[in-house]
Amino acid sequence: MTAGDSTAWKLVSLSPLPGWALGLLVGAVVLGVFLAAVGLRREPSVGRRLLLLALRTVAGAAALFLLIEPGVRTLQVARVKNRMAVLVDRSASMGLPVTPGGGTRSAAVAESLLRMAPGLKALEERFNVELLGFDPALLPVSETVLRTVPAQGVRTDLLGALRALRATDTGGSKKLSGVLLFSDGADNAELQGGVSARARAELLALGFPVSTVQVGDPTLLDVALENLKVDDFAFVRNAVGVEVELRVRGLPGKDVPVVLEREGQVLGTKTVHVTGADETTPVSFTFTPDQTGRFVYTLSAPVFPGEAVTENNTRSFVLKVIRDRVRVLLVVGRPSWDERFLRGLLRQDANVDLVSFYILRTSSDDTQTRNPERELSLIPFPMEEIFDAKLSTFDVVVFQNFGHADQQLSIAQYERKLEQYVANGGALVAIGGDRALGDARTSYPILDRALPVDPVGQTASVAPYRVHLTAEGQRHPVTSVLPTAAASLAAWDELPAGSGVNLVRAKPGATVLLDNPSLLLDGKPAPVLALWEHGRGRAMALMTDDSWTWAFTVHRTGDPTRLYDRFWGNALRWLVRDPDLTTLQVSADPPSVEPGTPVGAVVTAREVDYQPAVGAEVTVELSSVRQHRVVATVRATTGPDGMVRVSFPGQPAGAYRLHATAKSGERVLGEGEDAVAVRTVGPELTDATVRADLLAELARDTGGKAYHLPLQGLPELPLLDPPVVEVGRSKDRPLWDRWEWLLLLATALGLEWVLRRRYGYI
Amino acid sequence: MEVVAEARPLSLNARLFDYPFLYFGGEGDFPPLAQSEVDTLRRYLGYGGFVLADANDGSSGTGFDAAFRREMARVLPASPLQPLPSTHVVFKSFYLLDSAPGRLFTHPQLQAALIGGRAAVLYSQNDLAGAWARDEGGDYSFEVVPGGEAQRELAVRTGINICMYALCLDYKDDAVHLPLILKKRR
Repeated sequence: MTAGDSTAWKLVSLSPLPGWALGLLVGAVVLGVFLAAVGLRREPSVGRRLLLLALRTVAGAAALFLLIEPGVRTLQVARVKNRMAVLVDRSASMGLPVTPGGGTRSAAVAESLLRMAPGLKALEERFNVELLGFDPALLPVSETVLRTVPAQGVRTDLLGALRALRATDTGGSKKLSGVLLFSDGADNAELQGGVSARARAELLALGFPVSTVQVGDPTLLDVALENLKVDDFAFVRNAVGVEVELRVRGLPGKDVPVVLEREGQVLGTKTVHVTGADETTPVSFTFTPDQTGRFVYTLSAPVFPGEAVTENNTRSFVLKVIRDRVRVLLVVGRPSWDERFLRGLLRQDANVDLVSFYILRTSSDDTQTRNPERELSLIPFPMEEIFDAKLSTFDVVVFQNFGHADQQLSIAQYERKLEQYVANGGALVAIGGDRALGDARTSYPILDRALPVDPVGQTASVAPYRVHLTAEGQRHPVTSVLPTAAASLAAWDELPAGSGVNLVRAKPGATVLLDNPSLLLDGKPAPVLALWEHGRGRAMALMTDDSWTWAFTVHRTGDPTRLYDRFWGNALRWLVRDPDLTTLQVSADPPSVEPGTPVGAVVTAREVDYQPAVGAEVTVELSSVRQHRVVATVRATTGPDGMVRVSFPGQPAGAYRLHATAKSGERVLGEGEDAVAVRTVGPELTDATVRADLLAELARDTGGKAYHLPLQGLPELPLLDPPVVEVGRSKDRPLWDRWEWLLLLATALGLEWVLRRRYGYI
Repeated sequence: MEVVAEARPLSLNARLFDYPFLYFGGEGDFPPLAQSEVDTLRRYLGYGGFVLADANDGSSGTGFDAAFRREMARVLPASPLQPLPSTHVVFKSFYLLDSAPGRLFTHPQLQAALIGGRAAVLYSQNDLAGAWARDEGGDYSFEVVPGGEAQRELAVRTGINICMYALCLDYKDDAVHLPLILKKRR
């Protein structure tokens, strides 16, 4: 394709003599004129001298003309049509309104292109005009696409787009003469921090001018949460820090509150007083996760009227809360073998951080000392410290045979705190004995609400009995001490006879795992081990103080058994919601996604013996935390590894929970939960800034010009001229082969000879 | 603490496992234990049982002491008896003590066989039970030498500390107790 053919001409020598010969001849002619001038230096008449010299010069020129044989060469030429690219930013920020409530930046580009259409049409006589978008990959676009298809690019990479465009410049008709770039300049890639020296060198090396058109209004009103800094995971009951920058533009004098929430629960609020027109203030929060698991946290600032972007007022992130070591508080009513074996077990468990308090004496005990302060190693029972200040730092609180009426040992004033501790995600264990669970010297009615059992109001039965694993106990992970239910049942059956149980009834909703079949209460075996969930926490009650025999007496026959260790290990893991203890696990994959991106989840199903559940029917529900409803449900079947990956359609921004259930045949395999954040705003929408300075700098560095909308038509653009190339054959027309040039030579020479004779030189 | 008042003599058989605290005392030499008894005692100690051994004859190198050490070398060959320093938790498990006198006071310190850091066997050569023993009338059965009744009081306190240690293990070594105990000891 060419810009149109035309004819060009030039003078050429048609002489067959080589160049060096022509050079010698020219030298000879010049020498002849010079000698003539030397010979005439004594001529007194200036007129004669000039006349003779002029005749010699004319003769020499005529001779040269004839020797060089000049001609006119005519040739057909054409100009190659180069490319001129109109490059349009298709990143998501181009979907922001130019003015609050107005059309998008992309629509403004489309409108501008319509106005420029005549000018671009005119350019098409010289250039191939291409309309391209970048998101950041280059792609053809049209005005209709700009107007109707939302810009969704996840980042703006101006230099990357120009680099990609440069790669298409392969010379010839593909050569680029210039670029007209439409963008808001909100680069969040290489030019985010401005044009560096390296970037400038690369811009210079592009080889074509880039003219820029700024889209959007740089003077906007906006509140944005930017540069969120938080770790991916945290330890439960350990403080976590979150930092974010609050950028407020166009709202001087306003108070802007920033709120941190966990799935609807407000964790903290910080208010920032804005003084400047464009102010960035760091805001930090510190909170202590009280539960393990994965949760969606959201930071938000209010939306003010007329804001350019409302999506950047909130930021969501997912935090995985894990436990380091299980912190167990063991409160013992009095020393006992039950306490001694439990302490021995917990102390040797590397995963347990044990803090214990034993009541070694009551105020009525006589220690037979003259100076108890100096003779006893006893310390005061620090109730306020452990049940108030430090309570939330424990994962599990164990009351073992604890129920003192003694005013100094009563925990009555802390029982509400303890009940709330469980309701808010803590774990409580009550172990029986002669001072607990109905045999206590006092009652704690508020704390008892957290327990899965109610005392029947009678003293403990001390009749020997054999503990029995219930049907629920055979399935439950706490009492599943061996790989199969049958083996677990046999292990529990082989335990030595117990010496007594506290008499309690299981509350509705509680699960009884062990009972005493030889003692009936309300027609049912008396519970020995029961558990339930109280609020967001878990509680377990063991109605005996002779579980130590499961650790010791059971070994009298010499048969090795680790029932006691496994039972308490399972119990602690269940109490702290150890995810590995569940037979069904669901994990968001990835834990956070962009709005509109499919939400993925991986489900792992195991049988009760923890073997992969092959072919299990899995149902996964995706629920919106804000709307409190299921927004999508997916059903799938697990593979040979007991795993399956499911995917949900893209969701609007917000916090979501995944809830999975699975069945293998008619058998329920359990349920699992996880959290996933559909990020409220991606990096592209965080900043609504229009960076006119960057666009101007980019134009300047490449030799282009910077403009801004609105434009009434196509402005004058610096463009490289397309090169001219020769097409067709050339034609030579001699100029020397005419008689007039020979006559001129003869006349000049003859006239000089005649005059020299007349003047006496010959 | 509630205890069964009557002593229940036992053979070293499976019934041991009903009683996690075993008092092993005597006077003079005793015949070697049967291998089954050695095995039972080893299992008993290994699974958490506790033995308080007491040389009622106050012997050292002869009599009960020689026989007991001989048998313990068979029961716990990897855990020989060794002197227990006064910084051990047994000396602060209830009363703050510096030594462990009994009816006699020839050996200030206790001996111990440790299993995994736990003193599974505590051995006194001072006849602790001799200081504690009372006749049917409630009077002490034996005179305590050389310290008299003050020494008997310390022997009783030693016994209480040993029981507390058997039941609470290293509870008094927990970090929460240390500042107060160190202050009291100053």
